[in-house]
Amino acid sequence: MSTQIPKQEAFRRAVEKTIHLVSYFLLAILAVTFLLPLYWMFTGSFKLQTVTMALPPEIFPSHPTLENWNLLFTGPWPIWRWVANSVVVSLLTVILVLVVSSLTGYGFGKKKFHGSNILFIILLSTMFLPNQVILIPLFLLVRWMHLTATTLGTYFAMAMPMISSPFGIFMVKQFCSSIPDELLDAARIDGASEWDLFTKIMLPLLKPALAALAIFTFNQAWNYFMWHMVIAQDLLQFTIPVGVSVISRTPAAGKMITNIGLVMAGGSFGAFFMIVFFIAFQQYFIKGITFGAVKG
Amino acid sequence: MIKFRAFAREFRKELPGYLFIAPGYLAFIAFMLVPILFAIGLSFYKASFDIRARLFVGFAQYIQLSKDPIFKMALVNTIEYALVIVPATIFISLVIALLIEPLKPRAQAFFRGAFYIPGVAGGVVLSVVYLWIFNPTYGLLNFLLGQVGIKPILWLATPPHSFQAVCAVVLTFTIGQPIILFLAGLAGISPDIIDAATVDGANSMQKALYIRLPLLRPVLLFVLATQTIQVFQLWEVIYMITGGGPYNTSTSLVYLIFQTAFVGSNYGKASAIGVVLMVIILIFTAIQLRFWKDTDI
Repeated sequence: MSTQIPKQEAFRRAVEKTIHLVSYFLLAILAVTFLLPLYWMFTGSFKLQTVTMALPPEIFPSHPTLENWNLLFTGPWPIWRWVANSVVVSLLTVILVLVVSSLTGYGFGKKKFHGSNILFIILLSTMFLPNQVILIPLFLLVRWMHLTATTLGTYFAMAMPMISSPFGIFMVKQFCSSIPDELLDAARIDGASEWDLFTKIMLPLLKPALAALAIFTFNQAWNYFMWHMVIAQDLLQFTIPVGVSVISRTPAAGKMITNIGLVMAGGSFGAFFMIVFFIAFQQYFIKGITFGAVKG
Repeated sequence: MIKFRAFAREFRKELPGYLFIAPGYLAFIAFMLVPILFAIGLSFYKASFDIRARLFVGFAQYIQLSKDPIFKMALVNTIEYALVIVPATIFISLVIALLIEPLKPRAQAFFRGAFYIPGVAGGVVLSVVYLWIFNPTYGLLNFLLGQVGIKPILWLATPPHSFQAVCAVVLTFTIGQPIILFLAGLAGISPDIIDAATVDGANSMQKALYIRLPLLRPVLLFVLATQTIQVFQLWEVIYMITGGGPYNTSTSLVYLIFQTAFVGSNYGKASAIGVVLMVIILIFTAIQLRFWKDTDI
């Protein structure tokens, strides 16, 4: 009787251990499946045109070549300019979104004024609207103002549809509401101005939320393909995604088909920045994603 | 006079509030609210490249759309994409999240990141490599299928397959976000409940099915809503790999908006399609909110 319970316990542990191992195994298979395209792209960038079209395909390049990368860096594409464009557009978007979201979110979260409810509801109701709807009027606006005539104007035009992020404002408002009024009242009694309350008390508290918002916005702005493509008029205005898509549609010199190896190098180059960015800021990504969906 | 003074005093008290929201709200009006209203207005005009020469046509654009076979295909496809991609995304990401959850924190972080990486790489980059994978003669997919005796398929050029190809590409990058959400939801479940089940003799599988899953309901609804809205806006992969073809069998509403507006310069018609999409999403959101009322999030 006394050995019965440990035996059962041992059996249960064995079962749990097996389930654990099976989980690892299944996860490994799934991860390989989902990461296979990226692996295929990266290894493909080291294959010659003939190898990329060979059957059976080479799972690992047997004669790796740097020719595609060489072509990418020394060819007709201003790829570093594209990277610079992407960085500037994404940073500009982040800065504008942070300013708008923190000020407006604080106003809605901590200030009482007439009409605040209805103004906030109008704002919130646009959160789930398909943003392609606003792109046509914004495109006409950009054309009318000749924004793309200057580099700075182009950058601003590319950031435009994302500036008034209802999500960001909502996020900051929720965060501000969770901070006790007493904290602000105490500072007010000490003679702090309204602006001081915001910059000296609220902003430091908002830092983690704003960091998550910044990282999330940066990624979104970086991959805002449709709008960048609509705005970019010439090669020098491309962002990385637009550039990658154009490389993938341009036939190799003197041929009817694209040079797959070169396209894979372009794709790997384009993917590289965001993947590094993600690995560096993983926690902020997760905070940004889980905000609003999961309590606590 | 007294009334005015009271009003002035109140206004002065409320002034900081207005000032704080002013810059952001003005940006919102300029870059969101006005464009939305402008687009709705534009849908009642026949407007092409020279926007000043637009012509008021009332509901004519909408009536024409209702007879437009390409629009109908785009509408049906958009709904079909949602019906295929959303359940598949939820199922796969839920299974993966349940598999990840019992692991140690380090392994959790590793797998969570691994499944999210295709998403940060972006649809354009993934489409580029899938174009090669789907190639009928030297693509990896047909080669692998050939190993199990399946004849080569023209993935991007024959009707049901181009639709399937788009779904496959989209699935590689939609699962990352739900996995993170599900894991966060699972982490929020009190360990006491799980312990109680363990004491009662439930195994991992039973705990997953009968305890974790029902408690995940709020997160599940959130994922359902956000994923559906995202898939309703699908276009990038279509633009990159099928161009909507063949014969518009893989097109979507947003792809059609893009083509109509930015390739065909038919802004009135494109706006009308946009308004239709907006209404669909609004109806869907309204239905969603009804479900949300029961669960307190």
